[in-house]
Amino acid sequence: MATSRAATIAGYVAGFLLLFAIWHLAAIYLVRSALFPPPWPVFERAWLLIEDRILQEQIVASMRRILQGFLIGSAVGVPIGLAIGSFRPVRMLLEPWTEFFRFIPAVAMITVSVIWFGIGEESKIFLIAYATVFVVIISTAAGVGAVGRDKIRAAQCLGASRLQIFALVALPATVPYILTGMRVAMANAFVTIVAAELVASNDGLGKMLWDARLFMQIEDIFVALISLGLLGFLTDRVFRLLIRAFAGRFNPTM
Amino acid sequence: MGFVALEGVGKVFQGRTGSWEAVRDFTISLEEGEFFCLLGTSGCGKTTVLNMLAGFEAPTSGRILLDGKPVTGPGADRGVVFQGHDSLYDWLTALDNIGFGLRLRGLPRSERRATAERFLKMVGLTGQGAKHPSELSGGMKQRIQIARALANDPRILLMDEPFGALDAMTRAVLQAELSRIWAETKKTVLFITHDIEEACALATRVGVMKRGPGGTLKAVVPVDLPFPRERTSDGFMRVFREVHALIHEEIHGGH
Repeated sequence: MATSRAATIAGYVAGFLLLFAIWHLAAIYLVRSALFPPPWPVFERAWLLIEDRILQEQIVASMRRILQGFLIGSAVGVPIGLAIGSFRPVRMLLEPWTEFFRFIPAVAMITVSVIWFGIGEESKIFLIAYATVFVVIISTAAGVGAVGRDKIRAAQCLGASRLQIFALVALPATVPYILTGMRVAMANAFVTIVAAELVASNDGLGKMLWDARLFMQIEDIFVALISLGLLGFLTDRVFRLLIRAFAGRFNPTM
Repeated sequence: MGFVALEGVGKVFQGRTGSWEAVRDFTISLEEGEFFCLLGTSGCGKTTVLNMLAGFEAPTSGRILLDGKPVTGPGADRGVVFQGHDSLYDWLTALDNIGFGLRLRGLPRSERRATAERFLKMVGLTGQGAKHPSELSGGMKQRIQIARALANDPRILLMDEPFGALDAMTRAVLQAELSRIWAETKKTVLFITHDIEEACALATRVGVMKRGPGGTLKAVVPVDLPFPRERTSDGFMRVFREVHALIHEEIHGGH
């Protein structure tokens, strides 16, 4: 177990080193443009931004919004998804909503959200929650629908009431679907936060990208991009760990 | 009237492409404590008979009585062992799966545990209780299913081709175990199968069904042989041949 974990981490490190090596070669020998810096000046710039505590501030600003919006979106999405999956009338009533709104991307809602909530925290949190909620609803409802017929029948002939079937069979059987939906929603949240901060914000990684573009600070752009990639990577690892801890024990495919 | 009575039971399914008669005018009466095997070719409606007795599906004609009372839906008095192992709860340990019915009744944890351990031992899985279903083999999962149904102390055990998906060796072992468990618990069992040898090895009576659609009971063959059954004995061969002839007509003969 410990050796396989070490091997995984070694794989990650080697993979990233290879990526930076290719980047270095491409920048020095292939592109040779001031608009595509090699990794080293970018790392130097990143170190400077870290020393000045500027990068941390941007990361904290973006991540706080993502987490708040994500938690609100999940907290709203899970019960609605469970209700849609469990009760036919609720499904018929609410499915048109989810099918309608999920085709209006959160990015398209930036304008209206800024008009409603201003350029403060609320508009960004609203957008992240919006980006999260429909993915979570759909995967939760799908999970409830996918509970095996024999699992429910087995509970019935062991004497389970409808409430017991919901709480002790349908709900735990749906947990892996809920977590998978949340993992997908987290990726959506990253897309949305950058777009929202590009358009209307005083801080955050999206704002950093936008300012760097304005002042042609090409290294800053790359610092922001790498930060986003690493944060996303780390967040997804944490999620996989959580899924393993809660669901993977009994479902080795997760 | 017997302990379990199906009287003129029929089932017609309504589908998008029209209706389908799965079972027609099916009548049997089971005595308390007997092991009744319902044998038939695939599509003869034998699983539908079990599903109606379990209460998962309502008959479209006739009536079903358990101890004189009509069956209206699923209930804890009829334990079911399913064909596949999808009915086990992946998120619970083997022990918690077995104790699930007791948990539904609100029994305290210590009592649940003690009972579950007892049935875990009965199905020969002592020491495997902490494992999750994904860590168990197909045969072990079916043992857990049997233990889960029995731990709930049903009046009758309904088994729907429980060993159908297992390899021949495991199947033979589980058949012997089931025979032993039945002798220990004295439960009434209705066992669905399409395996003639399995039926002859387990049953006190074998009910042979006509082929579908609209399958119904063709003949009932009493198996008056001692347990454990000796499969190479003359008596076993005689019963096997009799049942085989009845099934053979259904596979090859016309109506």
